[in-house]
Amino acid sequence: MTQFERRAPVGRLAAIHCLRSSRLQRCYWTRTALATVVPRLLLLVALGMPLPAAIATRPGIAQDNPDDQEQVIEDAVRRIAPSVVRIEALGGLEKVGQVLVGQGPTTGLIVSSDGYIISSAFNFAQQPSSILVTLPSGQRTVAKLVAQDLARMLVLLKVDTEEPLLFPNAVPRDAMRVGQTAIAVGRTFDAAQNNVSVGIISALNRIWGKAIQTDAKISPTNYGGPLIDLQGSVLGVLVPLSNQSQSEVAGAELYDSGIGFAVPLSDIYRNIARLKTGKNLQPGLLGVSLKGTELFSAGVVIGACPAKSPSAKAGLKIGDRIVEVDGQPVNWQAQLKHAIGPHYAGDSVKVVVERDGQRLEVEVVLTDAVEPYEHSFIGVLPGRDRDGVGVPIRFVYPASGAGQAGLVQGDRIESLQGTATTSSAQIREVLAGFDPGAKISLGVRRGGEMRIVEVTLGQLPGDVPVQLPTARSALPDVADRPPSGVVPIRIPEDDHECIALVPATVHPQGQYGVVVWLHPPGGFDDKQIAERWQTHCEQADLIVLAPKSADANRWLPTELPFVRKALDQLMRSYPIDAARIVVHGYQGGGALGYLFAFEHRDLLRGIAAVEAPVPLRAAPPDNDPLLRLAVWTAYSAKSKLAGPIKQGADRLQASKFPVTTIPLPEPRYLDDQELAGLVRWIDTLDRF
Amino acid sequence: MSATRRMIPNVRPPAGIVIFAICLPAIVLGGPAMLQANPSLADAVTGVQPKVVKIYGAGGIQGLEAYQSGFLISADGHILTTWSYVLDTADDSVGVTLSDGRRFEARVVGNDPRLEIAVLKIDARDLPYFALDQAVEIAAGARVLAFSNLFGVATGNEWVSVQRGVVMARTQLSARRGAFKTTYDGPVYVLDAMTNNPGATGGVLTDRRGRLVAILGKELTNAQTNTWLNYAVPITELNSAVVDILAGKTRPRAASRDNVKKPKEPIQLQMFGLHLVPDILAKTPPFIDDVDPESPAYLAGLRPDDLVLFVNDRVVGSCKALLEELTFVDRLDAVRITVQRGQELMEVTLEARP
Repeated sequence: MTQFERRAPVGRLAAIHCLRSSRLQRCYWTRTALATVVPRLLLLVALGMPLPAAIATRPGIAQDNPDDQEQVIEDAVRRIAPSVVRIEALGGLEKVGQVLVGQGPTTGLIVSSDGYIISSAFNFAQQPSSILVTLPSGQRTVAKLVAQDLARMLVLLKVDTEEPLLFPNAVPRDAMRVGQTAIAVGRTFDAAQNNVSVGIISALNRIWGKAIQTDAKISPTNYGGPLIDLQGSVLGVLVPLSNQSQSEVAGAELYDSGIGFAVPLSDIYRNIARLKTGKNLQPGLLGVSLKGTELFSAGVVIGACPAKSPSAKAGLKIGDRIVEVDGQPVNWQAQLKHAIGPHYAGDSVKVVVERDGQRLEVEVVLTDAVEPYEHSFIGVLPGRDRDGVGVPIRFVYPASGAGQAGLVQGDRIESLQGTATTSSAQIREVLAGFDPGAKISLGVRRGGEMRIVEVTLGQLPGDVPVQLPTARSALPDVADRPPSGVVPIRIPEDDHECIALVPATVHPQGQYGVVVWLHPPGGFDDKQIAERWQTHCEQADLIVLAPKSADANRWLPTELPFVRKALDQLMRSYPIDAARIVVHGYQGGGALGYLFAFEHRDLLRGIAAVEAPVPLRAAPPDNDPLLRLAVWTAYSAKSKLAGPIKQGADRLQASKFPVTTIPLPEPRYLDDQELAGLVRWIDTLDRF
Repeated sequence: MSATRRMIPNVRPPAGIVIFAICLPAIVLGGPAMLQANPSLADAVTGVQPKVVKIYGAGGIQGLEAYQSGFLISADGHILTTWSYVLDTADDSVGVTLSDGRRFEARVVGNDPRLEIAVLKIDARDLPYFALDQAVEIAAGARVLAFSNLFGVATGNEWVSVQRGVVMARTQLSARRGAFKTTYDGPVYVLDAMTNNPGATGGVLTDRRGRLVAILGKELTNAQTNTWLNYAVPITELNSAVVDILAGKTRPRAASRDNVKKPKEPIQLQMFGLHLVPDILAKTPPFIDDVDPESPAYLAGLRPDDLVLFVNDRVVGSCKALLEELTFVDRLDAVRITVQRGQELMEVTLEARP
């Protein structure tokens, strides 16, 4: 690729930005200057501080005289210069993720007279073995890394020195204006001299309220340095940031683009005492799951609120609608992110929710890490007949709470915690609010007799029962059945092929699980699929959905949207049991299956992979109380990939996903018996 | 004739350092509104533009543009530009288009490979030009204008693109060995505008009044940050070289910095009685593993577990870098070594025993 091609796309963006900024900037000189300066003067007076002489004696500031502008900028930089230090981080990694980190000097800002220096986490992403700071006197000293702010991607350093150090004034947030001149200051090219870039403040409250934005050129040459105003007071500390990722190097790809970020120094000063204790500051979490995943759809409703979460401790419950945080109205999820974004773990926020038409205010202490959620388990499989009151029990796991409480096949669960039960889905939703180990009461009817049984909840099992009773009674004869056999599934405006294997017994009143089969390299033929699955489909009420990749030898992650569309299409055409939709794949198909399952948590309840590891680039999601995902992995210890496969499974297990591991004698696809085991596992996914 | 695209024998690849992001091309400033609103800036631009030329030569393949920029430095057609592959044509002549659209075949008068500049000559008279001896020096924070035909936007009698920015820093381009892929290692102005893009090299940097300041450099990445660098070389650094070229003095091709002379017999750590930890990582920190008793290192106070940070003021981040740095030091010379011990820095000077 040529440099031209590489640079062109963002260039256009920069061009637009710059043209705009030139106008804004002139506007500033003539009008906004006074508007910005005057409130600050008032503020200083109000605080009883002497007026800085420079401000009082610079009458030409608002004039459009370029020579004055240069002088003003030079003076501002000179004023901040003693607080801007050069940092050398020696040793460490050459690459952080995909990013080749520079080895050159970086910048820091003195924030206390006793040797504390703030800088950008980017400058230390390589985990240096030594950090040296050149003090204003030119003296090089060793610095200690005290703590990191992992929400704002800052680090606090400490040097021991007798040298008098100057730390700067912070411009309060409410005195900042979009359009005011902002000067980015670094000390990287030369130890004795600052490097400067001039722009404006382009936005306030960026990155969920954590940063301001500037069009000055921000890059590794000034990350860690201050963004100052024309008085030499500090607006913020320059850092690369991204509103999507939390890595030290996230956002660095925007360097010099005219899109740069700075964390307001006033925010830093407010929290610096906590950093000085040496404890890292973490982003604050409420610990709830919200219903829906759209950032901008109305209504922020708590979908799950695990007992260990700070929200549950504060008294919030599933179904509560969050309407206000710290006095700011919350109508959609993005507003909630904005309200919580600036907070650290340990902060407390006032949350107002609506419950049953009542407003309820609670104080939630944010946490840094929500313990992985673990689903609780009564220990039964539901029957799938939809007649009568409550939910019939098809099977009782012997070692479970239900087994120990003496429940047996044929009992009907008619209430849970005093509330009538209507479906197995409803029971699973209620259980999402309980942790393993908790006790619940079930109203169980056996024959004519109704009794209340207390059950201790356990964890979802990895083991699959060897034999299962049938899930439903025979369905009545019906004349009109949906199409069965090998049925082509067509997606409008998509060239991919896809078939569904539907049992001949398919019944409009049945409930069918779905196996999305992602074929291995080499593709498949329809007959082979039919032979393998026909009997299982009929006995376990399953439909196999088999999409074909464009290139039979490999799947591309970009083809997953098509697979999803095919699944949606199938669900519109057949009665599908939402509790038993799984993706299944062998080799490359299995690896892609993990991606598919992680991306489509709203639909997928299981991933069954044969001889396939979790792809490295797929970050395993957090376990979710409402969106269950079970994992079934079969591989041989002789497999080349045995190590990575096991590691991936262990990682998922540690995140509290229920994992079933099936050893294979050789690295190959499943034999009949193993396949039957897989089918039984799918058959148990509506367990609770 | 002009704008000939010729194949070139000596293709210089664009700065081939791995970068981690896209950098940005440039910004063309200047609608009429801007000029009206700021008459002094308009005057500056109007004064400069007739002195800037578009140069067309070799290239046009593999993403190497066959054009660059230059500016007039005499009334009778001398042009200062960057020495680059664009000028490296078979017959030593390139096409030049003046701001009024007139086209000329230009002859390469001479060049200075170390400073990476060349002087061209066209047959013309009474041209507006920049007097090199009137170039000014400016400081960081100064507002500047950059004039160049970056991306070849301007053709014929169109004025070249003007960009506005400030001087980010005045610094040495050769801050560290091997930091930049260029033979020039003198002072530069680093700019905060995206000036150094294809075709921009050889363009002119002026102060906001339009006074000559510097010549725009090549496309380089800053190896210390792995980011693209926008820089220009001060005219005051080039003046005497241009005088020499015009006087017909050939300037010898200076050794490029990549071939900085290494001594025949470099110093070795053992001569100081120093032993580093085993070099097992990609970047093993250069900790001292052992110090021979009564050796120069021992007598200077170095001890096991000291971490070597600098050798003769050059950063050594790894065992490998330390050993590499020593290959530049003759065994007869003294070496200044800075080590970190706990939170303390210590500097010692070592000399090998005869």
